[in-house]
Amino acid sequence: MIQRLARRLAWAVFVVWATVTLAFVVSHALPSDPARMVAGPQARPQDIARIRKELGLDQSLFVQYTRFMGRLLHVGPSDPAALAKEHATCAAIVGPLHLDLGKSAQQRRPVVTILAERLPRTIVLALAAAFVQVLLGVGAGVLAASRKKTAVDHLAVGASLLGISAPTFVIGLFFQWLFAHRLGLLPLDGWGETFFDHVRSVILPALTLGVFGAAYYTRLVRDEMIGQLAQDYVRTARAKGLSRVAVVLRHALRNAMMPIVTILGVDVGTLVGGAIVTESIFRWPGLGSLSVTAMLDRDGPVIMGCVIVTSIAVVASTIAVDFAYAALDPRVRAER
Amino acid sequence: MRSIRGSIRAVRALGASVALALSLAGCSNELPAPIPTAHPDATVPRRGGTLTSASFGDLRTLDPANVGDGLVVQMLEEMFAGLVDYDQDGKIYPDLADHWTVSDDGTSLRFVLREGVRFHDGEEVTADDVKRSVERALHPTAPNPYSSYFASIVGYTDFTEKKAEHLEGVSVEGRYVVTFKLDKPDAAFLPLLAMHPLRPVCRSGGTRYLDTWHPCGAGPFKLLPGGWDRGRQITLVRHEGYFRPGLPYLDEVRFLFHVNQTSQRFKFTTGDLDILRDFLSPDLPRFQADPRWKAFGEYELDKQLAGLAMNTEMAPFDNVELRRAVATALDREQLTLVRAANLRPAWFPVPPAVEGYDPTLKGQHFDLAEALEHMKRAGYPYDPVTRTGGYPHPIPYLTYSQGLDEYMVQVTQQQLARIGIRLDVRIVNYAAFLALRGRRHQVAFGPAFWTQDYPEAGSFLEPLFHSKSINDEDSNNSAFYKNPRVDELIDRARRELDRGRRMKIYGEAQELICDEAPWAFTHHYRFYAQWHPYVHDYKPHPMWTTDPRGTWVDRLAGPVAARALFSGDALAKLFGDGP
Repeated sequence: MIQRLARRLAWAVFVVWATVTLAFVVSHALPSDPARMVAGPQARPQDIARIRKELGLDQSLFVQYTRFMGRLLHVGPSDPAALAKEHATCAAIVGPLHLDLGKSAQQRRPVVTILAERLPRTIVLALAAAFVQVLLGVGAGVLAASRKKTAVDHLAVGASLLGISAPTFVIGLFFQWLFAHRLGLLPLDGWGETFFDHVRSVILPALTLGVFGAAYYTRLVRDEMIGQLAQDYVRTARAKGLSRVAVVLRHALRNAMMPIVTILGVDVGTLVGGAIVTESIFRWPGLGSLSVTAMLDRDGPVIMGCVIVTSIAVVASTIAVDFAYAALDPRVRAER
Repeated sequence: MRSIRGSIRAVRALGASVALALSLAGCSNELPAPIPTAHPDATVPRRGGTLTSASFGDLRTLDPANVGDGLVVQMLEEMFAGLVDYDQDGKIYPDLADHWTVSDDGTSLRFVLREGVRFHDGEEVTADDVKRSVERALHPTAPNPYSSYFASIVGYTDFTEKKAEHLEGVSVEGRYVVTFKLDKPDAAFLPLLAMHPLRPVCRSGGTRYLDTWHPCGAGPFKLLPGGWDRGRQITLVRHEGYFRPGLPYLDEVRFLFHVNQTSQRFKFTTGDLDILRDFLSPDLPRFQADPRWKAFGEYELDKQLAGLAMNTEMAPFDNVELRRAVATALDREQLTLVRAANLRPAWFPVPPAVEGYDPTLKGQHFDLAEALEHMKRAGYPYDPVTRTGGYPHPIPYLTYSQGLDEYMVQVTQQQLARIGIRLDVRIVNYAAFLALRGRRHQVAFGPAFWTQDYPEAGSFLEPLFHSKSINDEDSNNSAFYKNPRVDELIDRARRELDRGRRMKIYGEAQELICDEAPWAFTHHYRFYAQWHPYVHDYKPHPMWTTDPRGTWVDRLAGPVAARALFSGDALAKLFGDGP
């Protein structure tokens, strides 16, 4: 078990490194000039050149890359108060170990500070959306499968078709118009000031993402459940005298969960990377809107920060899925 | 047969539901009523209240030494007072300065400061602070994109190359007197000084730029710690020690960021926003046509120029007749219908709101027959009847995504086809577009635009058409246009301190530029501002979008947003007229 975890972790580090390196090369290969984006569309060449130098962008790609990687994790004073100038953009993670993602060219603040502001909000939204999509999707899927070819089934399948077809910006705008503007039940956008505000603010974006995601889950669960319910073990369990509900929920659903868990793992990873459209519509101050702005402005350090967080999230959730398999299915445990 | 009928029914049902959804989402065509003022008879400004506006953009930094975008100037204007500033008519007036004198040769400007002016931290503004702030903003460690604009100050080069500790040309002559010395007469210096980069900052700003500084100046509003919630909003509060007695009236000025047009519209109609500037494109004509709203809206001045830049160093536009053909073939009246409420046709390189604009000049014009004649002279005669001839190859045209030109180029394409010019349109993102169009020998044809830095012809002509603005990378003269006569005129105008004579020189330069057509000028973009009747004395400002010092609000007590709150008749609201 421990050995397997270690192997997976080593692989994860490699994947994150490869992603970051690729992103670094790609973002530098683009035909654009981050210094121009900082200075503005009307700045003069001599001012742009000075800003380029100040940002260290006049160095070769190799020099910039080795500097970035060299600074990424390094040892420094463990007391944050003692942070000298050369550690001004660092975050002390464990003891003397520092994480340094550099300084945003646009905002001129440490990237770690920006991520620390954004990440919690994105995680809140990702978890809330995942909750909605599992609750709605699995619920509708189980209902549809157990009432196959009835009105309930048709309704669930039809609704899921609508959910899949309607892009998030349509759903999002509709919810915003109905629940916030027309009925005034929930905030139109933003994050709010108090905890209660945050809870109210997360509902609409989470529903938007959740409804969109749930549609896919409904179809998946329904098809999987129909397959499971036709299996011999279901008939046997029923013949043993178990109630229909118990058979559906305890036996068939558990077996149908495998593909759901796989998808959910990837979904949560992606959601942490940021739900770009939804975050923009609802002015949710998360990673999605941050990474889009950074891409448009060619803010290299912020792009790198977002790539690192996203790739770690995806890799971590994949590992979690892997271990969830083992928990759900004794056969997987036995195999390994 | 049945299946066809069935599908027709399905399509009809779908159509009906789409229409229903659209009518729901678009509310009705009727605009909600504006929120009235609480005391219609009040003539004396009332103190208090908050003025909230929004943008889909974001604020990146907040320091006069780093003015990176158009949004931040509104905040800077409210927080930092300058020696001189622009009034509502775009004229320069003394602000922190009590008065100033210019020496006869125009190379020395002596400012006498008002006494007793206080920074936000309570300290008095002195001549030392002026000098310190100038050096802070021009020191090479500051990421100041405007630094080189002030290169005419004596000692600028030594100071920016770190050969001198202080800037020689700025000298303190007593507690309230400061003198700027220039190495040559510069008509643009005062207009540039009235902008934000050199405005005095509190002593906490130090002598060198620092990213972590909390912005502090002598303007009418100040930023409290925590007042700027990054990426979301900024709230500025009244500076009680502001030197103009009684001003400002507002307690707070608030600005929301990242708000898209739909949300702005929703927030505006419920009174969560007091001013609306970013309209959904069908909305603006509706507000303008509605008599209830009409009196509370106004166009901002045209201070932007847009056109099509033709790279004069690259084929085929190294041929001046071909450039003339393009400039004459564009029907600007038709082109501006793409966004009729915001665009006005452009015939000159200087927008109407900018000094030096002169409608009596010949300028460019639209004349199809003449354009065909230019094509013939260029060596590419085109017969519009048989559609033969013309320029034999499609001309690559580079534009950027998600901008207005994405739509306008489709009209341009059709208009130029009438004289035998075909375009091969390539769309890249904005950052790539900016990088490519400023690179030498890279882009033959594409959109170009400029916004005034200061409201005078030179602010357009010098960066766009002077050969010294040509560079291998990041060239602002994106047509790479070079005419020694134009250079000479622009240089002479910049040295000419007499306004009348200067405008005459600029007029001569404009005629040459219009004729040789490095650009085909197409349109000027102007914003429209809409406010609620409870907002009083709001006026668009020619430089800073708005100057809220004299603005006051008179709203009914309690949040008007309550109009949108859930109530028992929610369903009636949902399908009825609603809030």
